[in-house]
Amino acid sequence: MKNILESMFTRRRFLQTSGATGAAAFGAAGMAKLTGFSAVGAGGAAPSNAAAASNGSWKDLQMTKNICHQCPARCGINVYTYEDPSTGNRRVTSIYGDPGNPIANGKLCPKGHLGTYFLYDPDRFKQPMRRTNPNKGRDEDPGWEPISWDEAYDEIASRINELRENGEAHKIAHLYGRGWGPSDAGLYGDWGKLVGTPNAAIGHASICAEGSKHAKAAVEGNASYNSYDYKNTNYLLIFGAGFLEAFRPYNYLMQVWGHMRTKSPKTRVTTVDVRMNPTMAASDRYLMTKPGTDGALALAMAHVILTEGLWDREFVGDFDDGENRFSTGSTVDAERFEEVWTRGLVDWWNAELKDRTPEWAAGITGVDADDIRRTAVEFGSTRPAMAIFERGPTAHTNGVYNGMAIHALNALSGSMFAEGGLFYQMGPSYASGPADADDYRDGISRTMEGRYPRIDMAGTERWPFAGTMMQEVAKNHNAGDPYKLKMAMFYTTNPIWTAPDAPEWEKMMSEIFVVDTSPFPGETAKFADIVLPESTYLERLQDSPTYPFEGWPMTALRVPAVEPIYDTTEFGNMMIEIGKRIKGPTSDYYRQVDNVENLLKHLARGFEDDPGDNGVDGWEAWKEQGVWYKKPYHWKQHRGVFYEWDGEGYNIEMTEEEVREKLMPTESGKFEFDSSYLRAEVDYITQHLNVSRDRVGFPQWLDPEYTGGNRDLHFVTPKTPMTAEGRSGNIPQATALMQPSVGGNDRCYVEMHPQTARERGIKDGDRVRITADLGSIEAYVRLMPQNRPDTIILPYEHGHWAQGRWAEAQERATAPGNPNEMTENVSDPISGLAAYYTGRVDVERV
Amino acid sequence: MAKWGMVIDLDKCTGCQACTTACDMENDTLPGESWQDVLYYTEGEYPSGQMKWLPRPCMQCEDPSCVHVCPTRATYKDHDAGGIVFIDWDKCIGCKYCMIACPYGVRFFADEKPLVEPDLKEVFAGSGGQLWDPPGQSPDTDYRRGIGVQPKGVVSKCTFCYHRVKEAPEGVPDLDEDDPELVDYVPACVRTCPPKARFFGDLDNPASNVNKLIGNKNGIRLKDHTGNRPQVYYLGAGAGIPAFQPKS
Amino acid sequence: MTAQDNQSGNPALFTPMLYVGAAIAIIAFVFSGFMLMTQGHAAFNMDANVAWGLPISTYVYFALMSSGLTLLAALAMVFGFKQYYPLVKRAIWLAIITLVAGLAVLAMEIGHTFRMLWAIPLNLQVESAMFWMGVFYLADLIFLLWKFQRMERGDWSSKLSRQVGIAGFIAVVLAAGTLALVFGMMSMRPFWYDPTLPVWFYATAALTGVAGLVFFTYLSYGMNTERMPKALRMDMEGPLPRLFLILLFITLVMFLARLTTGLYANATEVNVVWADYLLASGWFHLGVWGGILLPFVLLLARGLRQSPAIQMLAAVLVLVGMFIERLYFVVGGQVVPLFKGTWERDLVAYVPSPTEWVLTVMGIALVFALYALGERLFNLSDMPQAEPGEAEAEPEATAEARS
Repeated sequence: MKNILESMFTRRRFLQTSGATGAAAFGAAGMAKLTGFSAVGAGGAAPSNAAAASNGSWKDLQMTKNICHQCPARCGINVYTYEDPSTGNRRVTSIYGDPGNPIANGKLCPKGHLGTYFLYDPDRFKQPMRRTNPNKGRDEDPGWEPISWDEAYDEIASRINELRENGEAHKIAHLYGRGWGPSDAGLYGDWGKLVGTPNAAIGHASICAEGSKHAKAAVEGNASYNSYDYKNTNYLLIFGAGFLEAFRPYNYLMQVWGHMRTKSPKTRVTTVDVRMNPTMAASDRYLMTKPGTDGALALAMAHVILTEGLWDREFVGDFDDGENRFSTGSTVDAERFEEVWTRGLVDWWNAELKDRTPEWAAGITGVDADDIRRTAVEFGSTRPAMAIFERGPTAHTNGVYNGMAIHALNALSGSMFAEGGLFYQMGPSYASGPADADDYRDGISRTMEGRYPRIDMAGTERWPFAGTMMQEVAKNHNAGDPYKLKMAMFYTTNPIWTAPDAPEWEKMMSEIFVVDTSPFPGETAKFADIVLPESTYLERLQDSPTYPFEGWPMTALRVPAVEPIYDTTEFGNMMIEIGKRIKGPTSDYYRQVDNVENLLKHLARGFEDDPGDNGVDGWEAWKEQGVWYKKPYHWKQHRGVFYEWDGEGYNIEMTEEEVREKLMPTESGKFEFDSSYLRAEVDYITQHLNVSRDRVGFPQWLDPEYTGGNRDLHFVTPKTPMTAEGRSGNIPQATALMQPSVGGNDRCYVEMHPQTARERGIKDGDRVRITADLGSIEAYVRLMPQNRPDTIILPYEHGHWAQGRWAEAQERATAPGNPNEMTENVSDPISGLAAYYTGRVDVERV
Repeated sequence: MAKWGMVIDLDKCTGCQACTTACDMENDTLPGESWQDVLYYTEGEYPSGQMKWLPRPCMQCEDPSCVHVCPTRATYKDHDAGGIVFIDWDKCIGCKYCMIACPYGVRFFADEKPLVEPDLKEVFAGSGGQLWDPPGQSPDTDYRRGIGVQPKGVVSKCTFCYHRVKEAPEGVPDLDEDDPELVDYVPACVRTCPPKARFFGDLDNPASNVNKLIGNKNGIRLKDHTGNRPQVYYLGAGAGIPAFQPKS
Repeated sequence: MTAQDNQSGNPALFTPMLYVGAAIAIIAFVFSGFMLMTQGHAAFNMDANVAWGLPISTYVYFALMSSGLTLLAALAMVFGFKQYYPLVKRAIWLAIITLVAGLAVLAMEIGHTFRMLWAIPLNLQVESAMFWMGVFYLADLIFLLWKFQRMERGDWSSKLSRQVGIAGFIAVVLAAGTLALVFGMMSMRPFWYDPTLPVWFYATAALTGVAGLVFFTYLSYGMNTERMPKALRMDMEGPLPRLFLILLFITLVMFLARLTTGLYANATEVNVVWADYLLASGWFHLGVWGGILLPFVLLLARGLRQSPAIQMLAAVLVLVGMFIERLYFVVGGQVVPLFKGTWERDLVAYVPSPTEWVLTVMGIALVFALYALGERLFNLSDMPQAEPGEAEAEPEATAEARS
């Protein structure tokens, strides 16, 4: 019964636009697409199933290749469609994993199958629309009026042209979340260069998982997520990665889990996390740590590995006489240790590790010292052994140091670039695009280059390490520092809901011209001036080079399974069409690019010279098979020697210089326990973190700076398996399956230890108020005796106030509320990753 | 004729519910109408608490109590179809006695209040007598076996995806989704299971992989004391169901 | 002397009761029918956990009341306790209408009522207790109607009439027993699983039957025993309240045995249901202590037992109390969720929906309306003419009945 106004707004609008009033506005093409999908009743558009029910006379089964869009994993999917004889339209009836796709292998995670509901979401935007209500706010009806694509593009382009001519091109920003490849987010670089804005590609990594990249860059030079050889590892030490819930590629991780847990020898798993979850439960041992203290655990494990003499001597090196001099509390003479592929081990020991005993770590983490010691001995005495981590340990102010401490274990175990270890992802053999943007730059493009910093100040003296700082955009705009934006276009991102201190964004977006490109209603669209609805992924043509997976190159393709059922198009086409309307040579460039299909055809020419393992040698084959890939990974470290693939085997022994150039691009070309990457900004780091100058480079324990003052409960908001890129809230099937939060089949509940609840007079099922410095939200409580008493957990999904009829029904928009409204905008000064899990809160019964 | 059976290895299962959603989409079921559900259980307390889970399809029992109680023979065990227990939607009177009699809670009367509002049955209102019109409705319809979207007022249940399984070549010992010749005939939950914790094959064939797995890993049947003798076997730790305790 | 002439069928009461009852029943039928047409079974609060709710318990309540009334009538018809003859015709009529009311509620509950009419006979699932329950209740209803028709023709004791009576008794014993076994044979529902459940059903059926008979008899006579035929008056002062008391005693003893076993048992699905569901509910306490113990105490003292007001009070208490008990019995077997893990962490919450209550109201209104109809159309206080050799037993009564 809540949010009647909201749902009235959406429903009425769609009825209108799919009825006679809207028909004239979006023309014959749009109407043709809507045939058979006219609105029925207040429920919105729904195809008639009479034919299916009466005689099952559906015909012409077809299968097209696509890539799932519900998480970063990029699983290849087979999309099955039938032609409905009563309407002549094709309908997607089921989605399965593509057996020919190396990530999916015929399998899918729970989200993947529900893709059909994204396509047929009755709340979808059905054509471009312009806002008529000049007032913006959560409770303001935008007053959408349907417009044609030409009108929409013309309006946007005229604003861009005007800003360019006024020397304000930098006030145009593009913000994006899930970029897939050259045919969508990949267009940003040239677009920004040609238009003349440094803000053409403000990515979301800094509110995602940027911390691990910087931790890795700090010690071994690769600012990237890792590829992993899980199949061959014998020990997996997982720190807060949500391995069986949210780590990418989730689907593949579960496949390889089945392999690891049944192969000979069985891969042993220890999981470190801050809450009970399936990964913890499925592991051989779990260590439940206090939020933000993973680094202390890892340091203590490194301490044990060294004192017990369990490090990999072929990768790390040894004492000159083979005698282990690492002894708790004692310094070691650096001269006596001869390092191979690492640098600074003894310095690290002397400066940090020698006192980092399991007993010390137990005091910080709350994990039993014996368990830490046992885990370290197991990890150190098993080969290959990997320590992996992602957002959990790094979403704190000490995130990079936590991550470095964990990643250092991979050097000690010699698993860098080794079989059963970690390495980095290679890119696909694409040919170049239809044109080179550098040939089409005009005067504005050139004068604007380097003239203004990015609005988020990433890469400036304010955030010298960060590549992107999306969470700073609204704050900086509102403060007018470095300047105010005039226009922002959003693609697959919704910071007005997801960024820390989300309400800041409402202020900014009320002041500027906002374009949203989501196929679905959302908080961004609520504040948009123009909506350019993208096609859903099942209607889209789009490429997608893989996220770091197993190292060897791979790129998959989305092929539309059905014609867009509404008047929508690909985001790439929007960028190109707007580009065609920019005055000057820019428009010529975009006429060369022309459209997404043309661009992809050019890229696919690269396969002609380098056919994939599955025989894909060009555009048609790529479309048919959905993926191009080429094994193997080209490099391998074996027993302290690096080799390169020569076409038949790992037969080329690499020099130190080659390793530095191709694999570990640090200053020393080695794995640095004393990071030159961090030392380069020693002033910045000592200014922003409580680290002394001489210790800046070491993986070390640094107290996390919890927000919330004296409040006494840690508050974490993990991603669970049903979280589908922020859209599960409006997918009723997903909402019904919100496990494994403790039994939510209608929403996410806040999990709380019974003792914690008792102390506050809270009972199971009570509605509570969670309060932080920035404000408070409400949620319903589920008691969970398996969690730490000092930590409460609210799985992240609901609390969306403008996302559609299911997202907003049954109090899902308000209980739970949006945790980002009370998450302070505090970031790790090094990586810039928003410290989402560092908040402390109070809880009381409502 | 084969006797179709399923093996679920709980040592491999990651509790992800892909089986549940694959089934939902293959069989067009409503939220909460999870023919194949994954049940989570928690026990104990920090720092030694447990979380465990149990995927639960229809057990396709050899001696199904639901069949005995059905007053109209609408639910029946079809030995010509691999021993799958079906519901004939043309005969079911919706008395729900089978739901009472099933020890495993795997029968559904979806003509009820929605679990998640707004009700999908209203948003995608049913035509042609269907309870609702799922937007991605699969083409297979066989009311005599409870396949398709059910009409109002009848009970629905897992069919072991018979509309797929029936197409399998005669005499095949196992339906392994990794075999390109067979993948299309494998039940949705088995086909998609990412850690490959589920297996489907002929229990009457002693050489089938499912029988070997049951033999090697001492497969057990759930609630065997009820005498229903499921054709679904579980391997590994965690197949025990904790006794019900309120607010546990 | 209209009242005297037309002793029980007081038109001032029963004509309005007929119309009002019929109107309520029709409105309830139309309302619930409309809800079912528009919302489907979402108009009910039953779900996959509690598949059987208030409509089923209402059906059980009425069906068993009908069975109890038939058992009561059998005391005279089958077992030769002639002092109960003045009650028989009213009991048979009440048995017919309560069974009809129960079946009407059931018909509104199940998914496909009309399909049931052909699907059950055509498929002959002899393994199903529900099949036999249907067969026996159908036979019961036929024999009741037949017997009533014989009585209406004044044929109380011809060979055929006796045989119909005996057949009806056998049918009702089988029907109520089978109804009990519909629940009692469900080993997967330990709260119900009980081979002696038929005995509990017989006892409580008879109890509600007696209570119903007391209630409606006094209703017909405006609480005034003076207006009753003498034989009936004698029944209402002696044998019937005594029987009422005995049945309350039996029910109480059996209930306490069930309660003790339930609380003592380690089996979760029995123990938890008693401890955390039944005894946790004020309504259940009201139902069993107010509906069994209190009437038992009230009827213990002979002086009170003969008071029409106390009898009426006891009858109402039993009728209400056992209605509550039936609901808690039916739901109690389902509140421990089967296998639901963290989906259902607590006992299953079930509260009947408004439409379910309307169905119950429909059943009750139907009973009142049909009873009034019966009073208008038939002489429900009729009893056999004195036969040679038997006449001396109650000469006064027969004389008065004829007058």
